[in-house]
Amino acid sequence: MFDYPNLGARVAATIAIILALFLVLFPFVWVFLESIKPPELGARPDVWVFTPSWANWQEVAFESDVPLNIANSFFVAAVTVLISLLCGAPAAYAFSRFRGFSGARYGILGAEMMPPAILILPFFLLLYHLQLIDSRIGVIAAHLTFVLPVVTWFLIGFFDEVPKDLESQAMIDGFTRFQAFYLVILPAVRPGLAAAAVFGFVLSWNDLFYALLLTGSESRTLPVAIAGFWTFRGIEMGKMAVAILIAIIPVLILSHSIQKHLIRGIGGGAVKY
Amino acid sequence: MHLKYKMIVPLVLVLSAIMLYPLAFSGWLSFQDYRLTRIDEVHPVGLENYRFVATDPAFLNAMRNTLTFVFGAVTLELILGLSLALLVQRLRIMRGFVRSILLAPMFITPIAVGLMFRFLLSSEIGVVSHYLGLLGLSVDWFGPQMALLTIILIDVWQWTPFMLLMFLAGLEALPKAPFEAARVDGAGPWLTFSRITLPMLMPVIVVALIIRALDAFKVFEYVFATTRGGPGDQTVTIMYFIYQTGFRFFRMGEAAAAAVMLIAVILVLVVALVKFSKIDRSKG
Amino acid sequence: MAFVGLEGLSKAFQGVEVLDSIDLDIERGDFTVLLGPSGCGKSTTLRLIAGLDSVSRGRITIDGRDVTALEPRLRDIAMVFQNYALYPTMTVEQNMGFGLKAQKLPTETIQSKVGEAAELLGLTDFLDRRPGALSGGQQQRVAIGRAIVREPKLFLFDEPLSNLDAKLRAGMREEIKHLHQRLDATTIYVTHDQEEAMTMADRIVIMNGGQIEQIGTPEDIYFRPATRMVASFIGSPEMNIFAGTMTDNGIDTGLGILTKGPGAVGTKLQVGIRPDDLQLVTEDKKLPEGPTIDCRIGLVELLGPRAILHLRAPDETELTAVVSYEDLKAASGETARFLIPSSALHIFDDATGERL
Repeated sequence: MFDYPNLGARVAATIAIILALFLVLFPFVWVFLESIKPPELGARPDVWVFTPSWANWQEVAFESDVPLNIANSFFVAAVTVLISLLCGAPAAYAFSRFRGFSGARYGILGAEMMPPAILILPFFLLLYHLQLIDSRIGVIAAHLTFVLPVVTWFLIGFFDEVPKDLESQAMIDGFTRFQAFYLVILPAVRPGLAAAAVFGFVLSWNDLFYALLLTGSESRTLPVAIAGFWTFRGIEMGKMAVAILIAIIPVLILSHSIQKHLIRGIGGGAVKY
Repeated sequence: MHLKYKMIVPLVLVLSAIMLYPLAFSGWLSFQDYRLTRIDEVHPVGLENYRFVATDPAFLNAMRNTLTFVFGAVTLELILGLSLALLVQRLRIMRGFVRSILLAPMFITPIAVGLMFRFLLSSEIGVVSHYLGLLGLSVDWFGPQMALLTIILIDVWQWTPFMLLMFLAGLEALPKAPFEAARVDGAGPWLTFSRITLPMLMPVIVVALIIRALDAFKVFEYVFATTRGGPGDQTVTIMYFIYQTGFRFFRMGEAAAAAVMLIAVILVLVVALVKFSKIDRSKG
Repeated sequence: MAFVGLEGLSKAFQGVEVLDSIDLDIERGDFTVLLGPSGCGKSTTLRLIAGLDSVSRGRITIDGRDVTALEPRLRDIAMVFQNYALYPTMTVEQNMGFGLKAQKLPTETIQSKVGEAAELLGLTDFLDRRPGALSGGQQQRVAIGRAIVREPKLFLFDEPLSNLDAKLRAGMREEIKHLHQRLDATTIYVTHDQEEAMTMADRIVIMNGGQIEQIGTPEDIYFRPATRMVASFIGSPEMNIFAGTMTDNGIDTGLGILTKGPGAVGTKLQVGIRPDDLQLVTEDKKLPEGPTIDCRIGLVELLGPRAILHLRAPDETELTAVVSYEDLKAASGETARFLIPSSALHIFDDATGERL
């Protein structure tokens, strides 16, 4: 598998990689097996061979709030990403192209790094007074505090890589600068837009902290629901495993599709590879 | 108005509403005696919240736990991530496949990670504990002494892939010529790594460290999923402390003061790290 | 009135003056080349004419209309960029038709115009491809095609050939020149390649340090360089230039007393002679008037029938000469005699650098 010159190194490297793969995969395999274990075997750590049962899946699908949680998570993430793209794309373009915004890049980075601890208190109090606790609007606003800066930062990196002559050409071809932006530059960074959208979606979909404190039974998102299974201890393990799988499978598929673009986005034009 | 200002208007408006305003609100809050339980008696108390929090053993303990956590987790992730990146780079078959699998943990929701390990490592029903028991090993993963380390290891499981991602891209982008020159010059693997690979990778390492460290300060989900701060207060992190103060004890003013002090600590660390990395680069 | 007029055109970037009060008139139908070393302001001038950068001071007119404050799209120009600036998400056909779409022309008109241009440039088979699937030369053609379908008043080229390899470059040079003659369109062409300038231009504008050094035909520029900078910039190998002082007998230089020249006695001068004009003295060749010098031959660079000689004069002045290899009897390290024809000397004022 490896091209190291001596045998010892090749063997050691192979063992190390297999060990790493095992450590990464094991929890996934385990959680999948838990989800199809017959409920009565749920708490037994030593049983690996059993007849698969879809009881957990059925219960989650038809007798729990998880479908509502999925809908909430999806709605919140989708709206958050949509707003982030609408506000972030033009701003990222301006930061990338026009003079006088070098400080703004660091402002965006600072916003991205802002600890939720300092924002959650005012958010909670404000939404409480507006009677918007347990509303999806509140969570969307909260998620925008990290998705919007991340998406903007992502796109700056992609816009930086589009040659400036492209919009010069479009302007000479008879378009205004803003037309050049949406007719020529936006299509040219389509992969970047997709990557930023997926990444922002994943961030919102995965959030527990804000959702835990700002949602109630109506607007509860999937991560909060997953955390909720804990209180019922071992007997709910199977259903929790199902909920975990539902939360992670779409995200794994989505993020796999943007792996290539992820680095450029995270670097945001600050790291030149 | 020039187009460049028009184009940032939506962003500025939204960020002002959801960040600047809450930040200012938090700042104000940190000078108030603001208890959710006595919402009619809110009144300014000057620096009292800061004085209280700064001398509160629980806050200092949370800060210590957090710093231990950040330092331990990020160091381990850096070492493991770099080693894995060097290994994966030398893979001749299935490299894309191996990389995709190794990167998977960083994309999934941290609460799921926390809960999976909560039950994998559980001393009663955990698979890991069960088989370690068969080997005659008994580890109380969430007991005294071990709990914080366990949470560090959970973080390592989820976020080493981030380091791997950054370093793999960094390694792939390095120019080939210096390595060929080193081979011609007869440099061994260690010399090549320490004198060529590492220095050229330094900018990427610094960025990865900063991003990961800042993110690690926000650790909440693993604690919430596993120990809820216990045993005792051994795993109360700063985020968990603020969560407890604000939403379990409803003392908003003190929670805000703690959050402001967290930002101060983070800023100091970032500035120090950037300074350090600049000095390092000017030398080498 | 000139077709394109620049009056007192200046541009400063963040306080640094990169273009200092340029005046230039360009006649209708001319092929004008802006030539100069990098950083001389030639590309800035082009971008100001295009309207891509804003003018700090001065005025630009195109076809009698003041366009100084107009957006690029309202100037009726077309431009070909160094890296082609093709729209990566559009096909060749869409790329070429994009400017016509901006004018809201009907689809059939666009199609027929694009078709004509594609035929002219041999792109008919590539109309459905994306730029990424084309070679460098083909991309270049698309960029030119995109410019000509617009039928603009003015064509601007910004170093369009510098990304092509040498062979393609020569071919494209001819093609662009041919297109210009056929379309009879006013063209401004920026390059740092003097060979390109000499072969293509009706008129060359030599720029240096944000100012114009000389405007003239290729012949003017080569045979009558207006300044010392132009003299040393144009021609390869570079012109030999050495210091001298005006005396009663002629110009006193390290190489001896040369021809009588202009200027008052005591004037400090710079004297130049092209390497091709230094004549190797052989017994059977008739030579013009002029003083001779004996030089030690250093490196000899053979270029087929001709050779470049690196010489050292008795006073240690380093000179370059280009001679017929056949005539060269001496080898490296030996001495040969050279004649300096008085008629071939270029004399410049030492202080101003201007031709005397």
